[in-house]
Amino acid sequence: MATYRPFWELRSVVKTFPGVRALDGVSLALRIGEIHALLGENGSGKSTLAKVLSGVHQPDAGEVFQRGELVVLRDPHDAQTRGVATFHQEFSLVPELSVAENIYLGRLPQRRGVVDWSAARRGSVEALARLNVKIDPDRKVASLSVAEQQFVEIAKAISRDMMLLILDEPTAALGPAESERLHGVTRVLAQQGTAILYISHRLDEVFAVADVVTVLKDGKLVGTNARRETSVREAVRMMIGSDLEEHFDRRENARERPRLEVRDVRTENRVNGVSFAVAEGEVLGFGGIAGAGRTEIARALFGLDRITEGDVLVDGRRVELRSPGDAIEAGIALMPENRKADGLFFNFEGPANITIAGLGAIQIGPFLSLTRERRRARKLMQELRIDRRAEDRSVRFLSGGNQQKVMLARWLFARTRVLILDEPTQGIDVSAKQEVYRVINELTADGIAVVLISSDFPELLAISDRVAVVRSGCIIHFAEYGELSEHELVELAAGGGANEVAA
Amino acid sequence: MRERFADALRSQVVGPFLIMLAVATAMALSTDRFLLSQNLKNVGLQVAIVAIVAIGATIVILTAQIDLSSGSLVALTSVLLADIVKNAGLSVPLAALLMILMGAGLGLVNGFFSSYGRIPSFIFTLGTLAIFRGLAFQQTGGTPIFSVSPQLDPIFYGELGGLPLPFVYVVVLYALAWAFLIYTPRGRQIYAVGGNESAARLSGINVNRVRTEAFVIAGALSAVGGILLTARLDSGSPNYGQGLELMAIASAVIGGASLFGGQGNIFATLFGAFTIVIVQNGLNLHAVPSAWQNITLGAIIAVAVGVDMWRGEFARLLVRLWRRGRAAQDEARPTTSTSAEEHVQSRP
Repeated sequence: MATYRPFWELRSVVKTFPGVRALDGVSLALRIGEIHALLGENGSGKSTLAKVLSGVHQPDAGEVFQRGELVVLRDPHDAQTRGVATFHQEFSLVPELSVAENIYLGRLPQRRGVVDWSAARRGSVEALARLNVKIDPDRKVASLSVAEQQFVEIAKAISRDMMLLILDEPTAALGPAESERLHGVTRVLAQQGTAILYISHRLDEVFAVADVVTVLKDGKLVGTNARRETSVREAVRMMIGSDLEEHFDRRENARERPRLEVRDVRTENRVNGVSFAVAEGEVLGFGGIAGAGRTEIARALFGLDRITEGDVLVDGRRVELRSPGDAIEAGIALMPENRKADGLFFNFEGPANITIAGLGAIQIGPFLSLTRERRRARKLMQELRIDRRAEDRSVRFLSGGNQQKVMLARWLFARTRVLILDEPTQGIDVSAKQEVYRVINELTADGIAVVLISSDFPELLAISDRVAVVRSGCIIHFAEYGELSEHELVELAAGGGANEVAA
Repeated sequence: MRERFADALRSQVVGPFLIMLAVATAMALSTDRFLLSQNLKNVGLQVAIVAIVAIGATIVILTAQIDLSSGSLVALTSVLLADIVKNAGLSVPLAALLMILMGAGLGLVNGFFSSYGRIPSFIFTLGTLAIFRGLAFQQTGGTPIFSVSPQLDPIFYGELGGLPLPFVYVVVLYALAWAFLIYTPRGRQIYAVGGNESAARLSGINVNRVRTEAFVIAGALSAVGGILLTARLDSGSPNYGQGLELMAIASAVIGGASLFGGQGNIFATLFGAFTIVIVQNGLNLHAVPSAWQNITLGAIIAVAVGVDMWRGEFARLLVRLWRRGRAAQDEARPTTSTSAEEHVQSRP
């Protein structure tokens, strides 16, 4: 099986981005015939490492070797010609083209200046046969199931004589049966002489498929072990590490009366019967891995995905949520994960960003009172300690933490009763995080019910009054503050050892 | 507060105003006839129609859409107004009101299909550009209708207290547009939709509705432009308003409105309209053949749009040149700060 000479090798690779050391002296050896899993929490450097190997990022220091020979990957094309294929969560297929056209996209075989369709079809069938799947090469990709599309994607990669395949969260969109099939294919490819780097959050999967497991934490290599010599428990311990706990100032503001009640809600977008309640001033944390359905629950509650079944009640009254407008009227607000793309108005200064969802409060008759707007926005900005320059400058120029607080101010201004925060501390620095936690305490002191979605599990456990573990669009476990260790949360979320804890 | 607002206004309006002034000065210096009162009045009357249509163009552009059909809608309005007044005998005020409603209705069609219907407005209104013009020709069989009605003059062309009525309409409509955009929730939402569509939706704004309304306003204002043009020439013709949509869009863009949406000032558009019309008038006075006038207008539009699109690159280029110059000056001291460049790069 696996040969012991490394096929691809990273030595002491360093990659820094402004403010972050994404990879800090990481060394890794990938061998032909070996499935090498890369584990780590969000932000541990897994994707950066994959991008170094696929030529997207160039390391600041350290070397990359192929068959013991030093190589420099200037761009993704460089990596491709050296046989590196990356397989992302997002498909790169063109839905309107046929399977064969997609597999040979941009390099259709030609004979005497015309496309040699029969060669393209034959090649496609062969590539798919290596994966043990049969898909008609003339079918349109749009007509295929997600799993079939995934196989086409892989076939596209292997038809290029790829020798190193990087799979980045390949099963995020797949069901259990399809994941199993994908793993089968992965093993076959390894046996046929491919080196495979497998990146995943799902511990159970990793341990089912990988030969070697490497754990990263905060850009550093924690350890590389043969799968047989390690365990899920050990891997979790390595992922979490034993660093000093960050300081979380959590206040108990939860009261008795339920503010938000969700009863058996389903949508067509991965929410499969979810029930929970959040009390006034309570913080309910949603834990889970990427693709578990946490964001989708938030989308349903904010009127973005149609609720096909179930009821939502705010302060005991049933509400219809057909649009974000409906949700805001009902007192529900969502702070989206991507504040730049989905939250902020760079063409506005601070005040206009804060008032946009509650213009009624600054109206006199049919008109806006700009004086009142400025006065009330300034007051909120002082309360939340937002950079004063935001008063008359575009919010583009604010720091990430200040931008996030502008978003919080918007929903405070709109008199929100239920606030859903989707990854509110992602991409902001430690002191800004503390500020966001402080504001969350202020929100709950005002009686606002907070639903917190965070992939930063220590943070989630420290701030939430209760944690709901979400997997496959369902809440599989509720825990009070202090009941759940990070270790248990990771296992529950990833599906490893769930039975021991969830019982 | 008031001062601050005046500051903001000035910063956006000053540039277009200076451009207008520069163009006017150039014309005044190059020909004696530019400053003749008759010529200035002509300029004013021509500006009126462009400026009114440009209000609609600006509002649509603010929502990050575009309306190419306004010139054709002016022609259609003109022909229909002439027809129903002269041939069907409707009173001018009633006929004008009907025309404005029709303009709003056709604007609704533009807006509905390019927002709810998800057809890019550039394409859809390119279609209605041809359709409206075609309807105008269909209405008259291609011939103009002359001597429409003596009633038109006192309402749409004569004078009020010594001021030509088209001026009065411009002043009133610009004041209304300004108040709408700055002092109403809907106006604010128009800027929001153009600034960040996704954020607008997540702030509870009905994006499709806001966009549709922008087109409705633009349609109604095109109809007003058509009525004023009909009154000025006392005739209706399917050939009116050719290229007017481009002049209106150019007015907005010269006034600093961004075709990406969310940025623009209505008074700056007015100066943009003046700039375009003064250039055209100057070329006329210099007896430049109409073919070259078209080429010039096209070039101005292309440059203005280019400046909008390349704003970021220009700024970056300037910073780079400036830094290179500095580095050459003091090679010994390396520049440590990159914040100036980052600062500029994050601008649109």
